[in-house]
Formats: sequence, structure tokens, C-alpha cells
Amino acid sequence: MIIEAHGLRKTFHAKRGRGKTEEVEAVRGIDLEVQKGEIFAALGPNGAGKTTTVRMLATFIAPTAGTARVAGFDVVKEAAKVRENIGYVSQAGGVDENNPGIEQLLLAGRIAGLSKKQAQARADELLAAFSLTEIARRPARTLSGGQKRRFSIALGLVTAPPLVFLDEPTTGLDPQNRANLWDEVRALRDRGTSVLLTTHYLDEADALCDRLVIIDHGTVVAEGTPSSLKKEVAGDVVTLRLKGVDDAAEVLRAQSYVKEVRTEEGLLRAYLDDGEHGLPHLLRVLEERDLTLESISLDRATLDDVFLRHTGRSLRDAA
Amino acid sequence: MIRQTSLFLGYELRFLLRNPVWPLFGIMQPVLYLLFFAPLLGKTTASGSMPEVLAMFTPGSMMMIALFGSLFAGFGMINETRNGVLERLAVSPAWPPAIILGRVAKDMLVLVIQAILVMGVAILMGLRIGLPEFLIMLLLMAVTGLFAASLSYGLALAIKDENGVSQLVQFFAMPLTLIAGLFLPVSLGPDWLQTLARFNPLYYGVEAGRSLFRGDLGDSTIPIAFALLIGLALITLVWSMRSLRRLAA
Ligand SMILES: Nc1ncnc2c1ncn2[C@@H]1O[C@H](COP(=O)(O)OP(=O)(O)O)[C@@H](O)[C@H]1O
Ligand SMILES: [Mg+2]
Repeated sequence: MIIEAHGLRKTFHAKRGRGKTEEVEAVRGIDLEVQKGEIFAALGPNGAGKTTTVRMLATFIAPTAGTARVAGFDVVKEAAKVRENIGYVSQAGGVDENNPGIEQLLLAGRIAGLSKKQAQARADELLAAFSLTEIARRPARTLSGGQKRRFSIALGLVTAPPLVFLDEPTTGLDPQNRANLWDEVRALRDRGTSVLLTTHYLDEADALCDRLVIIDHGTVVAEGTPSSLKKEVAGDVVTLRLKGVDDAAEVLRAQSYVKEVRTEEGLLRAYLDDGEHGLPHLLRVLEERDLTLESISLDRATLDDVFLRHTGRSLRDAA
Repeated sequence: MIRQTSLFLGYELRFLLRNPVWPLFGIMQPVLYLLFFAPLLGKTTASGSMPEVLAMFTPGSMMMIALFGSLFAGFGMINETRNGVLERLAVSPAWPPAIILGRVAKDMLVLVIQAILVMGVAILMGLRIGLPEFLIMLLLMAVTGLFAASLSYGLALAIKDENGVSQLVQFFAMPLTLIAGLFLPVSLGPDWLQTLARFNPLYYGVEAGRSLFRGDLGDSTIPIAFALLIGLALITLVWSMRSLRRLAA
């Protein structure tokens, strides 16, 4: 186990002006277990508490309550030991705009105890791995978003840590850069590095991670592999648009092959384990009741359906 | 620890070497004062000779670079509280005080070099100063820079807002300048001004500088200035390091 957290909590006392403070319960009791060598994701909407959780695990802020061991060391009592064993790439990136990337890589290596030679060798290695060699000497402010992001990740890897934290590593990247970054994260795992990443993209968690937790309002609402979580909901989801949603829901709930029915304004989602075979039956009973469809679609269940099931909201709508 | 501090110092110095122009702008102000303001001060000294005027005026113009240069040193760090640079360094294996000490050391060095240039201009204009006094003056500038820069980083880390810090620095810089007798000795003024000046650490810096430039090495303002500036620098350093630890709280 490279990360073990129990009951992590963080309450901020945010200033509200005029000397008043407001209590913000950013994280309200999170348990986490991350295995060595896996890509683990924390998926959740903005403000769910992902960054705060990662910051506690990376020793940037102290938990209000709870304990966590990272790489075998306590994040509060043995913070210095934890820091020797992690790479941390914050949401903001942490790239110094005024200086060239190479200078930052060298400094990061030297402060971690590498000799001048070792730091240079490590920097060269990372520059090559992230295709940054050509632009290593340009002030970072002249780089594109994707290039800057690769530098920020390279900076987190200078010490070749057994564990890296990537806080929203692909936010703001175009699809091409995003796909490349996914490959780079997978390459990390292939070399034995454990990765904890946060994201608010469903497809990213689905495609990239081995296991994940879904976080909402500072708590873990679901945990598992992407496929096990989706299986819990159902194999397929039939989405219907029609008038008389409530009648339709009542009928469909009575059908044995329908696992669950959810309704929204003018919209009905029916969860079926075997959509291909269930769909004809489903259409027949709706027709028998004279319920006319406006549209229909059959899709594989996604992590959004998991999120919806546990929170009652769609992650796409969640603020 | 010294290794870590010198690593951060080296990083900052390499930046300066790539962009050497900006600190030169910093000395324009005091040099302009020396060129165009000092000649107006002939009547304020006993003999009215240029060397005497310069001995009175140069220390003040040097303190000016500390006030308007080093006090703004922390400005760049405000952005680093947001762009993740300090966040990254805070959880790196770096010895945390080195993050600030390296920068402060850079600011001290910059201030000393600026001081050498300003004194060089004053010497060309006719100032006469002995080598020991010259060196002690540089040391005095170094501790002034230590204090001003630490204060600036402390403010940056505590307030984290460009607007707030610049307003605050402006707010303090002007009265501190006037009450220190930066341009003219406060001894020319009324008693209440002289009393007020005794609460201004900058006053001792300027007076110590004037004693040095007069060649009066035994003057009590010199040890007082050093003790005061070093003491204040230590307090502000500890404060800024604490703010660094509480960056996200
Ligand atoms: N330093 C802070 N002071 C006050 N409130 C904070 C601070 N950091 C985060 N929060 C609040 O805590 C909650 C969780 O934030 P965060 O962990 O950044 O969420 P996420 O990364 O999932 O978007 C939000 O409501 C946010 O406003
Ligand atoms: Mg976040």
C-alpha cells in the first residue's frame, strides 16, 4: 500500500471580510487505499475536495483530523520522509514563468540532493522523455499550455519518486495533448511508479485509471475499478425522451429486466444489464400503454451513471 | 543548509545575469538625486563644499535604493503563491528557509552592487571616503537589504495580493523617508521631529552612513544601526518563513 488514509478531514476558516470568518468543510472524512504501481483516480466535480485531499497527502497542508501514511510515512509526523518519496504536480502547475525549464529542472534535482552532474543527466533524461529538449532554454512564459504542462510533470519526476500526485493534469489541454499525456501517465505506471491523479473528466478516469474513488462534497461516495462501478449500476442505459415520464417509469419499474429507472424533466433513464435484448421488450410495453416516444438511445453505462446513482446529480451538471 | 541557500541564490543570480538591465534602473533614481539635487544643498552644511554636501547626502540616497528597491523585492513572490511554484517547493525536499534566504541573499547582493555604483558616482563628483568606511558602508547596506527584503517577502506571503502590498509599501515608504532625514538631516528640524525619528530604524541607517562618510568610525549610531537592522531582519525573516508554512491555510 503506497497510500493509506483514514478519516481525513480539512476545515478551512476562510475570511469573509470585516473580520468575519466562515467555516468551509472542504474534506469530511475520506478513506483511501492506493496500491503500489497502480493509477488511482479521484473523480469529482469542482469543489468536491480533490485538491485539498491531495494537498494533505502531499504534506502541503495538515489535516484537521484523520491520519495518512504515504510511502510508509506519516504525513504529519514524518513529512520530510514523505517529501523524499513523492512528486507533486499541483493544479496550478508550479512552473516559474520567468525562467527556462532546464534551470528549474536542475534546481529541483540539486535541492533533492543530486550532484551537478546527476542533476544534468536527470534533466536531460526528462527533457527527452517529454520532448522538451528543444525548448528547454526558453523562458517558460513563451511556451504553449501543453508544453508548460509537460514541464510541470517533468519537474515532479526529477527525483524519480515511487509515487506522483497529478492534480487535474489535463484540465485546459486540447484533445491531442490530452491523449499524449494519458500515454505518458501509462508509461509511468509501466516503469513501476504509482500515480494518484484527480480529474473531473469522466472519460479520463474511465480510460486511464486502474481504480478510482468518486468524491462529492468532501466525501467518498463510491470506490472500485471503473468496470466494477459501472457494473453495479447496469450494463446499459436506455435514455428515452417522451411525454408522460411518470407513467412510463411506473410501467418500466415493474419489468424484471429493468434494474433501475431514473427520471428528469421529460427524460427517463432505464438501466438494463442486457440492453440489446431488453430494448424490444421495453418498447413493446410502452406501446401497449400508448406512450409515444420522441427519441430513444441505447448506451453503455458510464461513470456519470455511477455518479448519478450515488449523488442524484449528473457530474456534467454538478457545480 | 548553506548548500540549499546557495542553490536558490544561484538560481536567482542566473536569472539576473540573463536580465541584467532591471537592477540598473534601480540606481537611476539615487544617481539623479546626486546629480541634480545635491548641488542645491550647498547652504545646508558648514562649509558648503561639494565633498561635504556629498558626505551628508549620499547615505540618504543609498538608503533610497533599499526603500524603493528591496522593499519591492517580494512582489514577484506574490504571483508564486498562486502559480504553484511555492507550493511545489514547499513539498520538495528543500530546506524551507532556503527558499526565502536564497532570494534575500540575492537582494542583498544586488543592493550592495547598486551601492558600489552610487558611491562610485559620488566619488567621481568629489566625495572622499576611506576604504574601511567604504567597506563598512557596504556592510550597512547589506543588512539594510536583509531587513527590507525580508519585510517585503513577509508582506508578500502574508497578504498575497499585489494591490495590497504595493499600497502598504507606498504608505510606509514616504513617511519613513521623510522622518529618517533621507534628504536633509533631521538635526536641522524641530525637537519633535528629532524625537519621532528615533522610532524609525531607517534614521539610524542614514545617520550611521553619515558618520561613516564623515570618517567618524566611533559614532554610536553605527553599532545601533547594525544591531537594530539585524534584529528587525531576524524578526521579519522568521515571520516570512512562518507565512510560507501557512501558505494554504
Ligand atoms: N485555502 C482555502 N481556504 C478556504 N476554502 C478553501 C481553501 N481551499 C479550498 N477551499 C474550499 O474547499 C472546497 C474544496 O476545494 P478543492 O479541494 O479545491 O476542490 P476540488 O479540487 O475538488 O475542485 C471548496 O469549496 C473550496 O472553496
Ligand atoms: Mg482542484
